[in-house]
Amino acid sequence: MKQRFISSAQIILQLALTTVSLTGQSYPGKPQIIRCRSLEKETFSCWWKPGSDGGLPNNYTLFYSKDSEEKVYECPDYLTSGPNSCYFDKNHTNPWTTYIITVMATNEIGSNSSDPQHVDVTSIVQPDAPVNLSLETNTSANMSYLWAKWSPPPLADASTNSHVYHYELRLKPEEKEEWETVSVGMQTHYEVTSPQAGAKYVVQVRCILDLGEWSEWSLERHIQIPKERLPPEKPTIIKCRSPEKETFTCWWKPAPDGGLSTSHTLLYSKEGEEKVYECPDYKTAGPNSCYFDKKHTSFWTIYNITVRASNEMGSNVSDPHYVDVTYIVQPDPPVNISLELKKSIKRKPYLVLTWSPPPLADVRSGWLTLEYELRLKPEEGEEWETIFVGQQTQCKMFSLNPGKRYIVQIHCKPDHHGLWSEWSPEMYIEIPTDFRVKDMVVWIIVGVLSSLVCLIMSWIMILKGYRMMAFILPPVPGPKIKGIDTHLLETGKSEELLSALGCHGFPPTSDCEELLIEYLEVEDSEDQQLMPSHDTPSKNTKIILKETDSDSGRGSCDSPSLLPVKSRESRALPSTLQTRDVRAKEKKGGKGSWETQCTASEQKTLPCNSESAKSCTWLAAQLPSSQPAMFAYHSTVEAFKITLNTTNVSSSPVLVGNEENQQSLYPIAETVYDDIEKKSEMENSKADQTTVQVRQNQRNDKPPFLNPKLMDYVEVHKVRQDEEPTLLLKHKESSGKTKKCTVPGTSKEYTKVSTVVDHHILVLLPDQRTQHPPVSQESVAETSQNPQQSQAEKNTSYSTTTPSNSRRDTSGSDYMDPSSFMPSFK
Amino acid sequence: CHTSGMLTPNGKEYVQKIPREELTHLILKLLQAWKEPLSHFNQHIEHHQELPDDSLSKAKQISNMVHELKTGVEKVTEKMQSMGIISNSLNGMASSEGTSLSMSNEANMMSDSDFIHCFRRDSNKVQSYLKILKCRIMPENSC
Repeated sequence: MKQRFISSAQIILQLALTTVSLTGQSYPGKPQIIRCRSLEKETFSCWWKPGSDGGLPNNYTLFYSKDSEEKVYECPDYLTSGPNSCYFDKNHTNPWTTYIITVMATNEIGSNSSDPQHVDVTSIVQPDAPVNLSLETNTSANMSYLWAKWSPPPLADASTNSHVYHYELRLKPEEKEEWETVSVGMQTHYEVTSPQAGAKYVVQVRCILDLGEWSEWSLERHIQIPKERLPPEKPTIIKCRSPEKETFTCWWKPAPDGGLSTSHTLLYSKEGEEKVYECPDYKTAGPNSCYFDKKHTSFWTIYNITVRASNEMGSNVSDPHYVDVTYIVQPDPPVNISLELKKSIKRKPYLVLTWSPPPLADVRSGWLTLEYELRLKPEEGEEWETIFVGQQTQCKMFSLNPGKRYIVQIHCKPDHHGLWSEWSPEMYIEIPTDFRVKDMVVWIIVGVLSSLVCLIMSWIMILKGYRMMAFILPPVPGPKIKGIDTHLLETGKSEELLSALGCHGFPPTSDCEELLIEYLEVEDSEDQQLMPSHDTPSKNTKIILKETDSDSGRGSCDSPSLLPVKSRESRALPSTLQTRDVRAKEKKGGKGSWETQCTASEQKTLPCNSESAKSCTWLAAQLPSSQPAMFAYHSTVEAFKITLNTTNVSSSPVLVGNEENQQSLYPIAETVYDDIEKKSEMENSKADQTTVQVRQNQRNDKPPFLNPKLMDYVEVHKVRQDEEPTLLLKHKESSGKTKKCTVPGTSKEYTKVSTVVDHHILVLLPDQRTQHPPVSQESVAETSQNPQQSQAEKNTSYSTTTPSNSRRDTSGSDYMDPSSFMPSFK
Repeated sequence: CHTSGMLTPNGKEYVQKIPREELTHLILKLLQAWKEPLSHFNQHIEHHQELPDDSLSKAKQISNMVHELKTGVEKVTEKMQSMGIISNSLNGMASSEGTSLSMSNEANMMSDSDFIHCFRRDSNKVQSYLKILKCRIMPENSC
């Protein structure tokens, strides 16, 4: 049975489901009771909300039962309260019972019912809101009132109006947020005591029954409270001004508007008068102003001016304002400002600013006199510089920087009590900078020139640096012993010493030897005079050779032995007398390197170069062509640069042997000598001590020539006894030949060089011995030694700084001692 | 002010309209009218200890200036009369009228502030009149 039932139920379910699945329709959703409400406790209504309808039209039924009963009733009235509602009228409403209400939704497929709702009528009472709310305002005697009136909520059943409602009212000004709530009681009107004047209010009311809830608030009502009506406040007079001392205007500030239209009037009276006038012109000067024209303007009288504001409620008067027109003059700013750039004499431009007084001011009649003031500043500057100009209408401005922009303004004031005008509109000034360019050009030229000068100076410095240095800081001469190199002495190598002392070039070279030989040969053949002794040639040669060999100090080419040879050949050598060739190059300081060219008879030049240390050049005396007797010994004993170490040995002057007899040679010699003399003089300029003025042959002097003698080594020619004694080279006629100095009397033989003065002057000591006919033998004998000794002695003599006068070395033959001139020199 | 009774032109047009003699007359009268009150005032304030010293010297200076100005105007007036620019109908009356004014009661009864106020006004008057007069007689100089 049950099974069958169940199975049938299942079948039905399945059917239903299939139906649903087939058609998409189902039984309705559950409805829901929204609320139930009673308006006046005698009736109530309930509303429900339908659930889903399941796709089919639904039917709703409401069932209710009272809690004390079980009977289920259906809703008596579905219509009154609207759709989905049920209205319980008086007959069906029992306030003291609880209703249990359900709503059922039915459609073709099935039905569904809501949850039951327990309703207690007393608890659902809520009246409607009051209606017909109206508002009124009333203003009387400066008081405003606000009235509110309304009606109770309407009821369906108008007969039963015994309900007693309590009302509540709330209001607020429109712009505010908070409500002011007032409990009114059972009246249906209310009076707001002191609303805000001028505010707009919003009002609402609601009601409640003795039990239940408050109704909703009624609709809003708005009302505008009129403003308070007051007489106006006090106006104030702002200022009075006269722009040209003929009229004036006064301005006032109006009273705050109380909502009512306010009008203002200006009243004035003059000093000494009682009569009060009203403003003649309210319009010309704009709103809230009064313009006094010429007729109404009096000077030197005080005006008493007041302004009255009046409206419906009353009027108010400002404080009096006393004004004497004379003192309120404020002119307009100056006009016609113009600039003019002028150039002054010094080419510095200045600015002339001119302007005119404001047009209204009557300056021409003298009625109003204006004073002006200027202010200017650089465009980027902050501070104004103010210049008081006075009554003139122009200003010269000198202090402006070219190239900058300036802003300038002017204003004016009456000369007596008055007020400054406004500043004129800004005026821009710009000074052209043309002349600056010229300045720049000048500076550029100066810069270029100075840089050039600097370059030149530096170039000079580089090139002549040494000289400059020497010029500025002359080197300190060390102690110098003439002729001796301490070093070499210490080392003790004679050869070196000698070589140091001697001239490098002098040791005869092979060439010279040949020459010598040649010379010798020639000499033998021809010249007899020259040849002091024929027998000596060999000796001479030997000697010479020897000499030359051993004589390191002697200029090889110019060795005395050579000289005769040369001289012999001098015939052939007129031209060879090239004393001119002798060039004494003297160099000061540094290395005095001599470069003399010894011109051999055959025009062989034997350059004798000496290092700085020594140079001895022997000028080969050119033998006179014609006169063999004369030996032109142009031997120049150079200052052996004895000062080996010192580099500043200046080349010794060329002691040029005088050549006598040879006129032809003389000139040349002279020239040479002259030159050399000059040079020597130059060098001697400083010499104070025994400077040997090697002045050979002065003009036409015939130095005693030692021609006849075969000077083996006549280094030094005799020095003449003149005012300036000259050094004569003398050959030491070694051999017995009295190769004395043929120089008459005056000649001496100087055998020894005593000193070298100034590095270039050879001071020779006369050889006493040689005054007499020399012992040739001796001399000869000595000659061999002599060279060396002579050299040595020379060296020594050279090295001795003090001229040793009578010092006579054994080898005096070699050295001539210029004793003759010694004293003078000494 | 004690000079308030004087009938003086109160506007530019009036000043330009009245004859020069009258203008000159007025100027002199005004200047004369202030002579006595000024000296009176100087005496008065000398006894005021609280005033600074330069006020006293200033006041004296002003009195001297007024006197010099009056003398100057008189001289100019004479010159003008001699040159025929103005007539000498009103000659000599200014000083007497002015003196009478200056001796009046009002002059002596003025308070200090009134005095200063009145003097300021009258000096301004005199200045304006003189300027107008100058430009009327010699219009070429900065007029």
